[in-house]
Amino acid sequence: MIIYNIWTVLQWYVRPILKWFLRKTTRLCELQRICYGDIAGAQRTRNVEKSLSLSRTKDVKEVISFLDRVVLEKQFVPNNFHNLLDPSISIIMRVKKINPRLHSAFISPFRSCLEQIWSYKNLVIEVEELRTIQFDSNNIEHEEKLLKLWSLLVPDETLESRISKQWQYIGFQGDDPKTDFRGMGLLGLENLLFFASQYPRASSHVLSHSLHPTYGYTFAIVGINLTAMAYYLLKDGCAKTYMFNAKQYLPNLNLFHRFYCFLFYEFDKMWIESKPQNIMEFSVIFKKFENAIRTELADPASVFRINIEVDIV
Amino acid sequence: MGLLDILKKLRSNPEKELRLLLLGLDNAGKTTLLKQLASEDVNHVIPTAGFNIKSVLSNGFKLNVWDIGGQRKIRPYWRNYFENTDILIYVVDCSDHHRLEETSLELAELLLDDKLRAVPLLVYANKQDLATALPASEIAQHLGLHLIRDRTWQIQACVATDGTGVKEGMEWVCKNINVKK
Repeated sequence: MIIYNIWTVLQWYVRPILKWFLRKTTRLCELQRICYGDIAGAQRTRNVEKSLSLSRTKDVKEVISFLDRVVLEKQFVPNNFHNLLDPSISIIMRVKKINPRLHSAFISPFRSCLEQIWSYKNLVIEVEELRTIQFDSNNIEHEEKLLKLWSLLVPDETLESRISKQWQYIGFQGDDPKTDFRGMGLLGLENLLFFASQYPRASSHVLSHSLHPTYGYTFAIVGINLTAMAYYLLKDGCAKTYMFNAKQYLPNLNLFHRFYCFLFYEFDKMWIESKPQNIMEFSVIFKKFENAIRTELADPASVFRINIEVDIV
Repeated sequence: MGLLDILKKLRSNPEKELRLLLLGLDNAGKTTLLKQLASEDVNHVIPTAGFNIKSVLSNGFKLNVWDIGGQRKIRPYWRNYFENTDILIYVVDCSDHHRLEETSLELAELLLDDKLRAVPLLVYANKQDLATALPASEIAQHLGLHLIRDRTWQIQACVATDGTGVKEGMEWVCKNINVKK
């Protein structure tokens, strides 16, 4: 603890000196060095975020709190990016004395970083909102989503009634799934629904594993446990590696769902490979899985993709 | 006085590890109770696939609380956790009228098991904050607690989500262990 404190104090004094020295020798400010030097994706964006958050310049701090406020007001949407980011970028370039003529190549990567950083913050709020909505059987929309989940996962069998033992087939606990979403609320249902609708092959593959006579598990309940895992990884920032390396997409709800699908697919793989004796081994294997994912996310170069190789056996 | 303080009272029996077993149907509130005991956030509770275990340490005293999933598929595995149990805690969702019979059947079966013979029983009559919840006395009747002769037992009304009544139940656990040992 003491060593950590000394380190923080040292950093406080040493950092500006180091930055000044590098600025003089490279003629570039820290943000430029990051945008020119670091590989696009998690590495660059995380470093830009860190550099901005450590900044002691008044104008930079104001830009940050302005964008934070915009996120809270739910105005940080792609349509507004131009109006929000153009002035933000020019303020930062002005205070950092970056010549826009000489360094036009700086603007585009820096802009992408800002888009990613604040889209992530926006996503955290959206996910939290969805999580706090309780599944409500009086809400027609909620009910329709639940029934859609059934028809996507078990297309060949109709649900005999809304309250039915059949729900246990896809891994709910009893005859009414409504009490199973609990602390993950609608987020748990939306995650499952996305997996079933956007990755039909992968999800039916995983569902078939969950029905295995010895290595079987409760598909939906495990799914809700994975929702919780994805949620925690998002909140503590570990998921940034995944989100910032997804080059085609900005962090948004769909990307969060994709992250979830990736986790589900990978968990299933690890579970089957572990050859568990029964479902009681879940807690141990789940923990092991989480640690493996956290290790992978700690490497900014990690890129995640579902590699579907449906085995025929 | 927090839960930790009560647990500290257990100091009279140092270096002893206690094993508390939490059972009950799914959605009864076992995990919420476990989190409440460990003073953790109870807003993110999710269904238990398998089991959760938490140890609460207090002055060389270790309280191991085992929370086993309650869904039907898992119940056959409950037995694997019976051995060396010091206190059995059974949680009932008092607002779930449909499954009152199911929960009393499960409890009756537990009480017949050899491995749990004479183990003190604490029943938490949970979810008392809900309008449809039956009072603890009625739950006791449904479960037939007054017919139990081979062990000490107690029923405690509680609301696991905000901690109401949880402390009182644990106080009973404390006293009971002191008498027993």
